[in-house]
Amino acid sequence: MSQHSPSNLEADLATHLGRSRSVAVSGFADRVVLAVHAYRRRQIIRWSSFATSMAACLVATLVYLSGPSEESLIQQTQSLVRSDEASQLNALLGMADDLSMLTPVMDNNSLVVDVIEKNEI
Amino acid sequence: MANPNYSPSSEDEEDKRLMALVAQGDDHALRLLVDRHHPRLVGYLKAEVGSQTTAEELAMEVFIRVHRAASRWRPEAKLSTYLIHIAHNLVLNEWRRKTRKPTSTLDSAPEPGDQSHESARQVVELEESFDRAVGQLPLEQRTAILLLVQQDMPYEEIAVAMKAPVSSVKTWIHRARTRLRELLKDHYDNQ
Repeated sequence: MSQHSPSNLEADLATHLGRSRSVAVSGFADRVVLAVHAYRRRQIIRWSSFATSMAACLVATLVYLSGPSEESLIQQTQSLVRSDEASQLNALLGMADDLSMLTPVMDNNSLVVDVIEKNEI
Repeated sequence: MANPNYSPSSEDEEDKRLMALVAQGDDHALRLLVDRHHPRLVGYLKAEVGSQTTAEELAMEVFIRVHRAASRWRPEAKLSTYLIHIAHNLVLNEWRRKTRKPTSTLDSAPEPGDQSHESARQVVELEESFDRAVGQLPLEQRTAILLLVQQDMPYEEIAVAMKAPVSSVKTWIHRARTRLRELLKDHYDNQ
């Protein structure tokens, strides 16, 4: 291998590196624009997803902080229904009580039956 | 990233105008900006990472970052210096992520035989030795020598791009030259 002068090293290095100083890539600008569009889309999706989550949290907080919740309303309704059922049952039972009071009278034999039974007719 | 010696030229004014348009989402301005600056950026990155594909990927990332920061960019230094600064940071990240695997840019070697082929073979060998030697330099030394010799950047701009004092840049370049002489001593006479 031929030997070069040390002073040539600088020049050879400059020549060697200078060859790759500028590397033009065809269509590179289009690729960059496409990548930027994709980045913008990702950002929009990310922000809309974040905004939706925040809105959901806000609504949940407002519902929690404001008045009776749906669950408590359901409980109140159920208790009202239960009390209504109880009153209906009580009414029925009361009627039964009335019937039971009447029962001895109703169970007594009629006068005709007694006479027949006594005379063994 | 301010360079005290920076005085804008007409090219810088054009970069400034394009950056303002890019900040407003102008894709045509972005295309023009990329066309103006990508060849040198890819050239620098290829010399740094040794791979055309990786260099293009990194250059793409540089321009995406520039687009993101366009509205915040202040023209305190040349745009090309700003691009190199971002590229250098990406190279640092790339090096932290994986070890460098240099690839030869020479696609075919001439067949051994006649004198012209012999001479061509020597040139190829020298080119490969340069690639290997530059690749063996520590990162700061390699970046500094590449920016000085390959990109013709003055010390002040290299310091801005590498976010380091000018004195450090001079030291790295001196050490890089010394190391290159050692690594290429087979090709050059001893001093």
